[in-house]
Amino acid sequence: METREIFRNFPFLMQMAFYVIAIGSMAVFAYGFFRRYKKYRQGRDAERFNNIIARFAKAAAIMASNRTIFKRDWYAGFAHSLIMWGFVILLIGTGLVALDHDFLRFFDVQLLKGPFYLGFSAVLDIFGLLFIIGLVMMMVRRKSKPAQLDYTRADKSETISRKGYSTDDMIFMWLLLLIGITGFVIEGARIAADRPAWEMWSPVGVGFASLVDMSGISANNVHMYTWWFHAVMVMFFIAYIPYSKAMHMLVDYANLMFKDDMAAIKLPRVSEERQEVAMGYQKVEDFTWKELLDFDACTKCGRCHVSCPAQNAGTPLSPRDIILDLRTLVDGSSGGVAEWFGQSDSNEKKPKKLAGGVISKEALWSCTSCMACVEACPVGIEHLTTIVNLRRDLVEEGDMEDMLQDTLANIGDYGNSFGQSERMRAKWTSGLDFKIKDVRKEEADFLWFVGDYASYDARIQGLSRKMASIFNKMGIDFGILYDGEKNAGNDVRRVGEEGLYEMLAEDNIEVLNKAKFKEIFTTDPHSYNTIKNEYPEFGGDYSIYHYTGLLIRLFNEGKLKFPNQLNYKVTYHDPCYLGRYNGEVEAPRLLLEAMGVTMVDMPRCKENSFCCGAGGGRIWMDDSKMDTRPSEIRIEEALGIGDGVDHFIVACPKDYAMFTDAVKTSGSEGKMHVKDIIELVDEAMGG
Amino acid sequence: MNIIVPIKQVPDLVEELEINSDGTDLDREWLKMKLNEFDDHALEEALLMKDDSGATVTAIALDGDDIDKALYAAAAKGADKLVKITGVSGNSTHEAAKAMANAIQGMEYDIIMTGVQSVDDRDGQLAVILAHYLGNSHVSVVTGMQASGGSVTVQKEYGAGMVAEFEASTPIVLGIQAARETPRYVPVAKVRRAQKSSTIEEVAAGDIGVDAGSSVSKMYKPDTGAGAEMIGGSAEDQANKIMELLTQKGIK
Repeated sequence: METREIFRNFPFLMQMAFYVIAIGSMAVFAYGFFRRYKKYRQGRDAERFNNIIARFAKAAAIMASNRTIFKRDWYAGFAHSLIMWGFVILLIGTGLVALDHDFLRFFDVQLLKGPFYLGFSAVLDIFGLLFIIGLVMMMVRRKSKPAQLDYTRADKSETISRKGYSTDDMIFMWLLLLIGITGFVIEGARIAADRPAWEMWSPVGVGFASLVDMSGISANNVHMYTWWFHAVMVMFFIAYIPYSKAMHMLVDYANLMFKDDMAAIKLPRVSEERQEVAMGYQKVEDFTWKELLDFDACTKCGRCHVSCPAQNAGTPLSPRDIILDLRTLVDGSSGGVAEWFGQSDSNEKKPKKLAGGVISKEALWSCTSCMACVEACPVGIEHLTTIVNLRRDLVEEGDMEDMLQDTLANIGDYGNSFGQSERMRAKWTSGLDFKIKDVRKEEADFLWFVGDYASYDARIQGLSRKMASIFNKMGIDFGILYDGEKNAGNDVRRVGEEGLYEMLAEDNIEVLNKAKFKEIFTTDPHSYNTIKNEYPEFGGDYSIYHYTGLLIRLFNEGKLKFPNQLNYKVTYHDPCYLGRYNGEVEAPRLLLEAMGVTMVDMPRCKENSFCCGAGGGRIWMDDSKMDTRPSEIRIEEALGIGDGVDHFIVACPKDYAMFTDAVKTSGSEGKMHVKDIIELVDEAMGG
Repeated sequence: MNIIVPIKQVPDLVEELEINSDGTDLDREWLKMKLNEFDDHALEEALLMKDDSGATVTAIALDGDDIDKALYAAAAKGADKLVKITGVSGNSTHEAAKAMANAIQGMEYDIIMTGVQSVDDRDGQLAVILAHYLGNSHVSVVTGMQASGGSVTVQKEYGAGMVAEFEASTPIVLGIQAARETPRYVPVAKVRRAQKSSTIEEVAAGDIGVDAGSSVSKMYKPDTGAGAEMIGGSAEDQANKIMELLTQKGIK
């Protein structure tokens, strides 16, 4: 009968020695695991146990497919799935051996025999080989030094060393590789010594058997020594897991499972009792257990680091560094074991404060809240929520630059960021040859939530008037709130001024709930996001469109027609709050297509769009200290398309302001024309 | 150290201002009020001293429109005590100073800091008259100060950017032109907390009985356009016209 002997030729004492080592290593694993678990239990409550089965299934699907790793990096995804699936199959195989030998044997049952054994043997050989191929692919990748694997800190700190990270990477990779290879050597030696009739069921093993034959060393000796070498490394690996990067196998599954789909899109409220004490995070105890899990889940893949606009602009912010620095902090102060191979700071003076200390205020204030980090993270880390929670403390301490402070004061006093009288909010309508309904007094089908920039910014008021004329021409029944509208608060909330946000949301909802309309639309993706996703929690539940979504609906209904087909060659910039936050990437493209425009996407587009740099309150802060502004980087990207593409199309008032500016400051005037979809629609309708 | 900061609310200049029917004052019916900017600086300087070396800061104000809001905001920023003086009818600096003096007389203080002037009357005399009633020394247009023991060193800005330094003993009344730092932002959550946790102590104005001093006989908006030429048209037309004018004046 086809099978193989476990502990082939091993005397009893040697077998016992193995069990002693195995139990020891599992004990070390269990201890580390327990220390980790205890650390996460210290976190503040996070409500993440709803729909637990769906969560479990979703995480399983992500893990099985490796789709978050494949995303925009085919090579890494492929190599990782080879390693992961190789590892999983080998683990199951080893589990079956243990089940047979250490348990079923005592009941006179054996699974691994006959045809099942042959199949088992072949499958394990194939996956073992894939496992090794995946590892070699990853090693080759590291040799090419990709930017995302450069662990240099964004703040260029000279006292903090990250050698521990690289050591950990090397141990992890070489351990797995050596375990894989020695496994085949053992198999080869066994086959070389025994030459069973079914040896072709171990295709890779047979190859190694020839190598053993060629070496001239006694196959039995090779088997014995390699077996022990392999066994000791496996046992070391098991013990090493909870203290190293290898723990991502377990933590990241949990992290994906407990990730909130609305993370950062809908920010957490501060409970009333907490509001009495503090709005933001001040100490380690303030982090939720999901955040503690986030900090440990990071594998330093660097995708957030390279996708972050603030990092690209040369600011001291890196989402990766924030997560890793918080891991170092929390692990050190709460008895974790995640930082055995961590970063070490030779500077003895430890900062006392969390926001503005452990995480510098410069880094925190650099965030544009574009959410590229959260989108890029393959393991479900919610960087942006943590950043806002830390900003909330900076706001509480008044630790912000003057310009931002003035803007917040203006929003508090006048409901707009321009510091103009609230009565002037609808002054832009005075240039129209018709009167827009006041939905506070008259009923209308649509309420247009105009937003600050479209109302007050002189560069954008013209676009607002065009928008109004377009809807008027189509005969759409719409109105605005006039001076009843206030800043929607999306960016105020992301600045971290939660008290002011609540006030704005409550004031707007009070007015909206009294107004008479069926649906809302807005040209501002920022207002769109908060009204759609965050207002419901404050009692404002509305059906809301971004104007591109509404226009495509009206086009499909035949109410919007484009008699003038346009000949432009354009690229389209997805606004963060429309594409990435709310998944609306089709409507603007369909509109452009319907108008006859030739559209070529930039390399970074749709949910991977690159932020203009205005979000999260950045538009109210100084950007003169950046190496290159994100908006200028973006214009360069658009110019890089070439092929006659000379129109940069936007669908967000802030984008319009940022990019018309960037075209000028980067000296690209005449080469790239910034236009809002509103302008194209106006042209295509016949002006 | 005890610091008292008299503050007041003034009309918000962002809003359109109207003259009342008598033509002697603003139409105060619909005015939006905000804290006098110089008072905000006085409060900031007091709070900075508190942050540096410890002090008890009292914000004091005459009763009026939205004054509670201003007092609670002061508490949210760090003021320890809030006092509101009730029963004052006139709004001249003389009357205000007398009412303040009556209220402050019974209080312990080392320094009184108030804004050097306010936008609604440009009188700039509150500090000096208050010092007079209280019998304290006084320096105005202060742009910086340091306190040690019973004395203060005060900087005052003269013309041409010259700075003069004064040594004075406390108690003293200062008219603050600018604090060392931009007045701090007070987050909404802190104001809400202050509204719940702080109390405004109310004090009656007592006997005022002073002459209002000068009074406004006529208030009006200056004629616009007199001596000025309004340039209209497109941006290009405007630029051309400006160019033409500059050339005419020999600037080229």
